[in-house]
Amino acid sequence: MRFILLVLCVFSFASCWTKVKPVNYQKVWGSKPIYSGFTQAKQISYSSTALPVMLPGNIYAKGNLIYQLEIGKGIHVIDNSVPAQANRVGFITVNGSSQISIKGNYLYTNNYDDLVVVDISNSNTVSVVKRVAGAFPEGKQYYSYSQPVESGYYECPVFDSAVIGWRKDSISAYNCFKN
Amino acid sequence: MKFSFYKLLIALFVCFVGWSCSKDGTSNAAAVSSTGKAGSLSKFTIVGNFLYAVDSRLLYTYDISNPVNPVKTSTASINFNVETIFPFKNRLFIGTTTGMFIYSIDTPSLPSKLGQALHVRSCDPVVANDSIAFVTLKGNTWCGPAVSGLYVHDIKNVFQPVLLKTLPISSPEGLGLEGSVLYICCNNDGLKVFNVANPANPVEIRTITGGYFKDVIPYGDLLICYISTGISLYDITNPTNPVFIKLIAN
Repeated sequence: MRFILLVLCVFSFASCWTKVKPVNYQKVWGSKPIYSGFTQAKQISYSSTALPVMLPGNIYAKGNLIYQLEIGKGIHVIDNSVPAQANRVGFITVNGSSQISIKGNYLYTNNYDDLVVVDISNSNTVSVVKRVAGAFPEGKQYYSYSQPVESGYYECPVFDSAVIGWRKDSISAYNCFKN
Repeated sequence: MKFSFYKLLIALFVCFVGWSCSKDGTSNAAAVSSTGKAGSLSKFTIVGNFLYAVDSRLLYTYDISNPVNPVKTSTASINFNVETIFPFKNRLFIGTTTGMFIYSIDTPSLPSKLGQALHVRSCDPVVANDSIAFVTLKGNTWCGPAVSGLYVHDIKNVFQPVLLKTLPISSPEGLGLEGSVLYICCNNDGLKVFNVANPANPVEIRTITGGYFKDVIPYGDLLICYISTGISLYDITNPTNPVFIKLIAN
């Protein structure tokens, strides 16, 4: 009798095992990445319309201009010819950027994991004169937008595309979390 | 064994949190020349024909004698959590969360480590002149515990930097050196102006308030301040007495 009970017991567990479902993680309100292909996200351009500063970064002074990073988005250009009238005059879009350095007419910055050399000699436009692909391997995963701004749950991004923003959505709690 | 496991855990943790910290990194005082001048929170710097770039743990050297064709000449492993790179003459000062590293660029294509001043980890902008390096440490952040303040190192012997003075200051961040005047951004506490004619005894001259100060560039007669609400400009014809000119609001 005991043996039968034991067998039954084992079977009852076994039946449980056959019914195992994928763990149903709780849904939470969190951030979901908005992706763009790297080819598109790595386009560099200049706009002579000043943009507001959202996420300010490093500053750099050269000649009568001051440059300030918009972290992960690009570089604000400030005309400082007359300091009392200094103002932003344009914006260089360089997604995934976090650094600037300048020599002569050339600006060196990072465009995600690439090192790019940008000709800034013309005040109405910019042109990429050289791109060293994969110069900074970290930059492919760690850039300003690879995490949302707010703390909380967020969908862990994949790294074969560029994250260009975040939107709020219901996501699985089995995900990344930012303190 | 247990202890080393603990250390490994800490190392992993530091590694993990590192990049968030490194976003706010410092550096520079190259002459106002063809290269311009960076704030003290930089990770790129150009000296002569070479671009030096750090990510969280590597120092990359690119030959840019042909500016449109950078050629990598060296990759050096530094540490975890590199924050900033600051050039002065034939030296690179690299602020990391474990201390300040000094590299020689006598052979510009191949930086070589000369010395280091280790301290408890923190996010550390550096500025320097011939004999003195000024480092700000900010405690109670991602970067770990430290007594927040200004740390003055004698670097006459670069192989063995000597801590000359520690001056507690709350929340110091970027800094800039103009002759014997040192400007330290102290976040909500404002911009502090020090006379460092005697570096072993920095004397606070005044504090400029009115913003959350992050970084600063002394640029000739102009002091360019990166504050949280914009960029504010000051006239420093008299370096010890910055006079407000304009705020370029965000």
